[in-house]
Amino acid sequence: MRTKRIVVALLMLVAGIGYMAMAMALPGREGVDAATVPKALAWMMIGLGVLELVGAVRLVPVDDGPRVSVGGMATVLVTLILIAGFIAALRPLGFPIAAASFLFLQFIVLTPGDRRPNYPFYAALAVGTTTLIFVTFRYGFDLLLPAGLLSAWIN
Amino acid sequence: MFDLFLQGFGVVLSPHVLLLICAGVGVGIVFGAVPGLTAVMAIALCLPMTYGLGPAAGLSLLIALFVGATSGGLISAILLRIPGTPSSIATTFDGGPMMEKGEGAKALGLGIVFSFIGTILSILALVFIAPSLAQVALAFGPHEYFAIAVFSLTLIATLSSGSMVKGIFAGVAGFAISTVGIAPVDAIPRFTFGKVELNGGFNILTVLVGMFAIAEVIKVAETARRAASDATVAPKVGRIKGFGFSRAEFVHQLPNAFRSSIIGVAIGILPGIGAGTSNIISYIAAKKRSKTPHMFGKGAPEGVVASETANNAGIGGAMIPLLTLGIPGDAVTAILLGGLMIHGIQPGPMLFLTQAPLVYTIFAALVVAAFVMLAMEFWGLRIFIRLLSIPKHLLLPVILVLCAIGAFGLASRVFDVWTILAFGILGYGFVKAGIPTAPFIIGFILGPMAETSFRRGLQLSRGDYMGFVQNPIAATFLGLALISIIWQLTNEYRASRRTPPDALDFREP
Repeated sequence: MRTKRIVVALLMLVAGIGYMAMAMALPGREGVDAATVPKALAWMMIGLGVLELVGAVRLVPVDDGPRVSVGGMATVLVTLILIAGFIAALRPLGFPIAAASFLFLQFIVLTPGDRRPNYPFYAALAVGTTTLIFVTFRYGFDLLLPAGLLSAWIN
Repeated sequence: MFDLFLQGFGVVLSPHVLLLICAGVGVGIVFGAVPGLTAVMAIALCLPMTYGLGPAAGLSLLIALFVGATSGGLISAILLRIPGTPSSIATTFDGGPMMEKGEGAKALGLGIVFSFIGTILSILALVFIAPSLAQVALAFGPHEYFAIAVFSLTLIATLSSGSMVKGIFAGVAGFAISTVGIAPVDAIPRFTFGKVELNGGFNILTVLVGMFAIAEVIKVAETARRAASDATVAPKVGRIKGFGFSRAEFVHQLPNAFRSSIIGVAIGILPGIGAGTSNIISYIAAKKRSKTPHMFGKGAPEGVVASETANNAGIGGAMIPLLTLGIPGDAVTAILLGGLMIHGIQPGPMLFLTQAPLVYTIFAALVVAAFVMLAMEFWGLRIFIRLLSIPKHLLLPVILVLCAIGAFGLASRVFDVWTILAFGILGYGFVKAGIPTAPFIIGFILGPMAETSFRRGLQLSRGDYMGFVQNPIAATFLGLALISIIWQLTNEYRASRRTPPDALDFREP
């Protein structure tokens, strides 16, 4: 817990210093300008980071408690990759294909370990849900979601 | 006035308009309940549909959407711990824990009933005290707004359960993120890295969806593979009687609801703040007034009542400057203003004289929409609970797709969808680091108002800082801010003296 708090405090400090560096780079003029508030906020972030660091260093070390499993972090990483892939594919592939693929894969990734993924059900659910969402927003609310590869048929 | 009201109800209760109100409330509830979709989006998307309708029917539809969407946010806030809209942020604080304790039906019932009460009380405020209140709000200048923003920011410490340092840091970080974009007064681009998309700063919706909804999906992903973590069975809520709470509990909450309504209406009147802030401020007020403040955040019904009453009370509050002065207080009322103008209606002081029947039709539509909301959510209560039986590994990816649509729909930009992912990672980082998210959101919402008012106030007083303390309203709020800081520091100091050193290391939720 103590190590974690020191790391968090250091990250707070780094965020403050980084923000200060960016604020210092802003074009300034005499008196109150566009950099004044960011600089004040940066000083506060640095100050709070220092306070947190001092508190963390003075802390009596205690048991860290349960840690996140490697498997858990792997699922998080795969989820982030899938979300990023879905967003990146929105324009080129279009919403229907990107969303259906994302849903199908994400259902599999998040399936609890003691169960076998039901692929046909997941595929049907992914396609059905995507179709429902797409039709509702595109034709019900006139929201022009990207059609991508299907634009020839949808438009 | 009574005749005008009767006339208004006559129009609103005609089958055609009543059907539109029911549809509007239903769609609004869905938009409010689904994270990423908001009242703004619901009204904006349905606005073109009102072209073909008359003013009374068109405006009734828009108002029904507004009422439904504002209240609908409580559903996901309680069931999933994800606020459907910014106005339901504080509902998650106690609604989520109540759900976990098996009191989900009660939390939903309280939220629904007190949303209704908040709406009705705000309509009364709108009808009876609108003109005089609007005049007071109109007298507020940059000095007053700056002081109000500072006072509200000092309340962040109250939300920093656990570590005050981390809570204040989160608030400051939220403020810092809000400085991205074109600076007020100077119009200098700040921290945009040459990206045109960042000139307007980050949209509150993308920040909120990222910090709460996407972060929640990532959090679930962390434990999803462990079989026991998957909540595939709805919690046993038993047979739900009425709204899930007793008459005594209802009566007990009335002072809290009344106070929260006043806060909701008062904040709703002030342009630029809105229900996104009022629900948190009233939550803080309820916590401060409570005899059991330590229960807040652990499933205190008062927290749900305060948040939901205040956000719905903002409806009437926001309509006051819109109708009496033609000033939209937030994005929703700005679109409503557009809706009024589409139908050739110019809001302002003359509206009550020249278009009195239509004004009272709007009031009647608000009342009817509030009752329709109560009925729909009452019958929907059992369905909402059943939503929990959908396995999370199936539900959350669908929510993520809806969030992406919500972000994309803001400006038809994929950039906004990337933004929700970025804030999702930041939100997940906050959870892992034990940094509270609510102060970040408060800092992000109030930051621009504080900075803009500070710069404009200084310009008005020709660079003299004394301008902020010579103004009586501003001085009062700044004084309150100072008292709040001293009070918080004193409490923190006393708590640290009472707590043994080895117990200082706490584990945050």
